[in-house]
Amino acid sequence: MISYILKRLAGMVVVMFLVVTIVFIIVRVTPGDPAAVMLGPDATPQDIVALRARLGLDQSILVQYVFYIGQLLKGDLGQSIFLNVPVGQALIERAEPTFFLTVFSLLIAAVIALPIGIYAAYRRGSFIDQASTTIAMLAASIPSFWLGLILMQIFAVRLGLFPVSGYGGPDASFLDRMYHLTLPAVALGLVSSALILRFTRASMLDVFSDDYIRTARAKGLIERRVVLKHALKNALIPILTVLGLTAAVLIAGAVVTETVFGLPGIGSLVVSAVLRRDYPVIQGALLVIAGLYVLINFLIDMLYLLIDPRVRY
Amino acid sequence: MRLKLAFLAATVLISGPCLSLAAERGGVVNVATIGEPPTLDPMASTADLVGIVTQHIFETLYTFDKSWKVTPLLAESLPEMSADGKTYTIKLRSGITFHDGSEMHADDVVASLGRWMKIASRGKQAASFIDKVTATDPQTVTITLKQPYAPLLSLLAFNNSAAVILPAENQADTMSAVIGTGPYMLKERKPDQYIQLVRFDGYKSRSGESDGYGGARHQYLDEIRFVPVPDPNTRVEAAISGQYAYVDSIPVEAYDRVKSSSASKPIMLKPFGFPVFVFNTKEGLSSNLAVRKAVEKALNTEDMLAAAFGAKEFYEADGAFYPKSYVWHTEIGTEGNYNLGDPEGAAKDLKAAGYDGKPLRILTSRQYEFHYKMAQVAAEYLKLAGFTVDLQVVDWATLTQRRADPKLWDIYISHSPFLPEPALMGALSTSSPGWWDTPARKAAVDAFTSEADPDKRVALWQTVQKTMYDELPLLKIGNFNAVSAVSNKLEGVEPAPWPYFWNASVKP
Repeated sequence: MISYILKRLAGMVVVMFLVVTIVFIIVRVTPGDPAAVMLGPDATPQDIVALRARLGLDQSILVQYVFYIGQLLKGDLGQSIFLNVPVGQALIERAEPTFFLTVFSLLIAAVIALPIGIYAAYRRGSFIDQASTTIAMLAASIPSFWLGLILMQIFAVRLGLFPVSGYGGPDASFLDRMYHLTLPAVALGLVSSALILRFTRASMLDVFSDDYIRTARAKGLIERRVVLKHALKNALIPILTVLGLTAAVLIAGAVVTETVFGLPGIGSLVVSAVLRRDYPVIQGALLVIAGLYVLINFLIDMLYLLIDPRVRY
Repeated sequence: MRLKLAFLAATVLISGPCLSLAAERGGVVNVATIGEPPTLDPMASTADLVGIVTQHIFETLYTFDKSWKVTPLLAESLPEMSADGKTYTIKLRSGITFHDGSEMHADDVVASLGRWMKIASRGKQAASFIDKVTATDPQTVTITLKQPYAPLLSLLAFNNSAAVILPAENQADTMSAVIGTGPYMLKERKPDQYIQLVRFDGYKSRSGESDGYGGARHQYLDEIRFVPVPDPNTRVEAAISGQYAYVDSIPVEAYDRVKSSSASKPIMLKPFGFPVFVFNTKEGLSSNLAVRKAVEKALNTEDMLAAAFGAKEFYEADGAFYPKSYVWHTEIGTEGNYNLGDPEGAAKDLKAAGYDGKPLRILTSRQYEFHYKMAQVAAEYLKLAGFTVDLQVVDWATLTQRRADPKLWDIYISHSPFLPEPALMGALSTSSPGWWDTPARKAAVDAFTSEADPDKRVALWQTVQKTMYDELPLLKIGNFNAVSAVSNKLEGVEPAPWPYFWNASVKP
């Protein structure tokens, strides 16, 4: 098993190196100039050239790449061109809203999807099963930002129950922050719940047809115990996988939702960095997002070992 | 139920600081801006957003009053000018303190103007005319010019690439401390979240009435928080819900929705500015004047404005580079040259010019949706005239990069607010993308910039406008209005191209 873990870790390093290189190349060959954006529309070409030189952007791509890799090996993600702070610091500052949005959305998704998915599988073919499957299909087809706009229109603009945008002011408490996250979390949670619901249902259906469930029932165990203790435990592996991947998607994929709701998270940082051509931030943020993906996948695989004694690497 | 109560409690907590109860003095306001400013150094960028935020923190020697005349701010009065127009003697106000508690003296002004000439785009523009800046005494600064340069006062007054006054010891090229003399000072900046400004208790306002950006600056509000809300639709919903005291730059289509809101009302700056098609006069297809004239003849600018701004209350077809409300307004040059909408006539001119079907490359961006809408209409008119149109839709960052290379484009689409001084227009500079550089330009612009007499300058501007229509370095499309939203609970906010909140207060 140790050799498996070492192999996986080595694979992760290769993946991250490829990510760093591909992102670096894509960012540099994309048209646009951070110096021109920073200096504004009336800046002279001479000013732009001077700022490019100051930022080191007048060097060849290869020189910039070697310098960047050297920085990374020292654990330095570079300095943001626009924010004038280290990229690591910018990411840490943005991690809080993204983290809580992810947890909040995942919680909403799990609370909706798990009980309904289990019940739909248990009552296969019933009205609840058919209705939940149809609604899940519909929810999976809705873009979360669109749902966010609809929720914003109803609950923020018409009913005035929630703020339209932002993450609270300087004096906002934790509760204020969560209050600001409610609408985007509901939008993301509802859409994510569709996938989790379908996986839960399918996974439970698989397990229900296994012999040991029939045996459990034959032994006279009450249904609740059969479903929640015996069936659910074995159905959890694919459900955990999809929960983990959903978390990864929410961290990286809440880009548009964060922008629509004006949340200062990692997603909106990436969007604004792309628009400003803040190269170090784009590179740093994508590196961290890719790293999280790789790490979550790794952790899910490790989790299998704990949940399923049959799994051996 | 508990959750609901918690949210209701939170609602009270959150709406409280946004528009708290206040009589005349007090209150915290949240201002929704179009994004995060790239810097808080007003010298380092020409972006409007930088000026909007930093004008509360920093001050210039002069500023503009309601009728766009230069008026003193940190200077005691307008400068004494020598008879040859080459020496400006500027008396400073006494008792002005910076946010760090130090007092402002002539040394600070000399150092700041030196930094401005070194790093600010507009400062560099002025630097070539300035011989030296010296401190005559602790309260007097003298600027000596190499030759008369009339736009200097306007440049010293402008909040864009601004000649702000900083402490002499805080003059590094990269600003390390945000310290000015303005009515509000920086408390905290969390990029993409908020910029928190608080009242500067040591502020010394000018006496008398407030007058545009000039006159008295009252500090009614305790705090101003600039919050980036980059999505225009979210800004509209935020205005309708009343979440922000002021919401900058709202799409004109949302005007009626905001008007019907019980929380906010729309305010319109009429007119705000003008969209332009800038021609590449240096290389390629549009370096041929006959081609530029054919473009001008083909386009129906009124149709373009209608597509871009919808109802007529948001735009005006006007070829003059300054609208009627400005002293610079003149129709000279526009007759027979504006809003012609004659693609058939243009086709004949184009044929006579020997046009061979080479694509006309138009650079535009959807960052400003009205640019793109105008480009679409223009492309159809130009096709009718026989042009092969290559409409290149890119993001703004790409456009600003590509326009710097004369090999890559023939026309790019941009816009500008009406600047208080015509000499500040980028197109008049030979280094500005478009690279208009002809003997006629030099004669007209040099005469205009070196004349000190205001009345003579008005007459000379007519010559500049006529030259612009004769040589067509850029095509003015018309005037458009800017719409913002202000909460019903906020008063004292005047429509302005760079909105300011030092005279604003929360209604009791």
